[in-house]
Amino acid sequence: MAAAVKDINLDPTFADIDRSVRAILNPPGIAYWLWIAFLVALTLLGAGLWTNQIYNGLQVTGLGDPVMWAVYITNFVFWVGIAHSGTLISAILYLFRTRWRTAVYRAAETMTIFAVATAGLFPVIHLGRPWFFYWLAPYPNERYLQPDFRSPLTWDFFAISTYLTISALFWFTGLVPDVANVREVATGWRKRMYTILALGWQGSDRQWRHFSMAYLLLAGLATPLVLSVHSVVSWDFAMAQLPGWHSTIFAPYFVAGAIFSGVALVLTLLIPMRWIMGIEDLITPWHLDNLAKVVLLTSLIISYSYAVESFVTWYSHDPIEQMTFHMRYFGPWGWMFWVMVACNCVIPLALFSPRIRTSPVPLFIVTIFVNIGMWFERFVIIAGSLATNFEPSQWRFWHPSFTEMGITVGAFAWFLLLFSLFARYMPVISMTELKEGIVWLKQALRQGYADAA
Amino acid sequence: MSAEVELVGAFADEERLVHCIGQLQAAHTQFRVFSPIPSEHINKAIYKRSSFVRWFVLLGGITGIVSAFVLTIGTSLEWNLVTGGKPIASIPPYMIIAFELMVLFGGISALTSWVLLANLPSFEPLSGYRSRFASDEFGLVVRCAEGEAERFESMLREAGAQEITREAA
Repeated sequence: MAAAVKDINLDPTFADIDRSVRAILNPPGIAYWLWIAFLVALTLLGAGLWTNQIYNGLQVTGLGDPVMWAVYITNFVFWVGIAHSGTLISAILYLFRTRWRTAVYRAAETMTIFAVATAGLFPVIHLGRPWFFYWLAPYPNERYLQPDFRSPLTWDFFAISTYLTISALFWFTGLVPDVANVREVATGWRKRMYTILALGWQGSDRQWRHFSMAYLLLAGLATPLVLSVHSVVSWDFAMAQLPGWHSTIFAPYFVAGAIFSGVALVLTLLIPMRWIMGIEDLITPWHLDNLAKVVLLTSLIISYSYAVESFVTWYSHDPIEQMTFHMRYFGPWGWMFWVMVACNCVIPLALFSPRIRTSPVPLFIVTIFVNIGMWFERFVIIAGSLATNFEPSQWRFWHPSFTEMGITVGAFAWFLLLFSLFARYMPVISMTELKEGIVWLKQALRQGYADAA
Repeated sequence: MSAEVELVGAFADEERLVHCIGQLQAAHTQFRVFSPIPSEHINKAIYKRSSFVRWFVLLGGITGIVSAFVLTIGTSLEWNLVTGGKPIASIPPYMIIAFELMVLFGGISALTSWVLLANLPSFEPLSGYRSRFASDEFGLVVRCAEGEAERFESMLREAGAQEITREAA
């Protein structure tokens, strides 16, 4: 720790913040391009498998009655959930003036945009005839396809498209002053790109006046939106009569799970990023500690949700519901449930230790387990409940196909590809907000490095 | 009538700049501020009223709600979807769509209104702008008659400007 303190400036100025962030945008080395090539290869693998699926039909997947929703819809819900932490950190914590958000919110917000962009692929991938994807749009039309505005799937269309749009607007608005900052030192095509994206921003009093009001109001609009979107996604399931889905607890349960998985993935990305990009002076152990506390809190909330769900099933005396849960715990897919409990409820308890919360490697490992656990949670709820429906004669357990697994891997690669490109070509840390809260950054640096040393 | 000039003062911190703004307002002269951060103190010192962006957002939000009910109720009445026991136009589920469109239209209004009210996009530099005002210094650009330039220069210097340059307006 002493060596780290020697290298890190504990009393940064505005110019030091600019220097650290602008250094990230220097031309990357060969290792970066190898990483990008690896991600492009995996993305192409996913795209190739999808092309094959379009050509041969959904028979190449393991989908079939009664498990008509499995990995693709699991991925959709997982990625929508991931997207929640970005707006939580950027909007809700902005309204509460939370001090530690300034260093991490841009990365979280970027993750949100790319996670929604990834999630949005899956309903289309799941379609047998994806070229008719625009039929998903609920609009009055001449084809006698009557949009049912009472259906949660229709609400979902509005919720997800609004969420993507508002998150993108909020992200773009926050980026403008920082892009204008890097425009001043960029050269060549980068300067042209930054000049266009900055819209001619120069930080005049008039520009800041309208910017600040718009940013505040966008945060105010995005805050209830965060809570509504995953509630609406949960109603895709909860409004159905299926045992295992039909539950009033789903909305808060899904929202807590979304924040849990999203903040965990923010940490999964930030921990290697701060090391690779050398920005330990901007993202300190204090920031990691606070993010880890959010993960711990939301882990406790979803552990409580699991317990309440089980209790209500037992208390209901409904034999079909009870059998569904019995199969969830002890059926052929029971191991997935226990993996989910271990990853989401047990392993995060390690975060009660301040030492783990501020140690990058153990914290990174915990967040990887949370990501795995939350993917399994989505799968257990979605596919597990479908596999054991009302009629035992219809029960059938889905088996994964190479196509589904390959497309899932391709989607992760696609997400990481977008994030990696952004992190090297755009300001992934908000210089403007770090400067605005420079007092807190100095305090974080002292707490994280000097006091610890 | 003497020609006008612009004095560009660079400040290291906003406190000194805010103090100087008060003096310039008392002298009834035109000025513009450049800042690397959003500053509530500068905003309050210059503007007595909040930005009009909020009214555009309100208008956008109301438009979103009205559009959602027109779309959902209009579609339901035009294409009756009869589901046992349920009204053709069911208001409670339509409120979810109204909420989403309120946020969507409000957000789009927020972006378009701040961009337009801030006179963006504009790729011509504002007079007095320096690249360091986007980074680590605050700028105060004072427009005055050439004959008054000396007085305002000393005002800026006394307020704590680190550097003052004079340009033709």
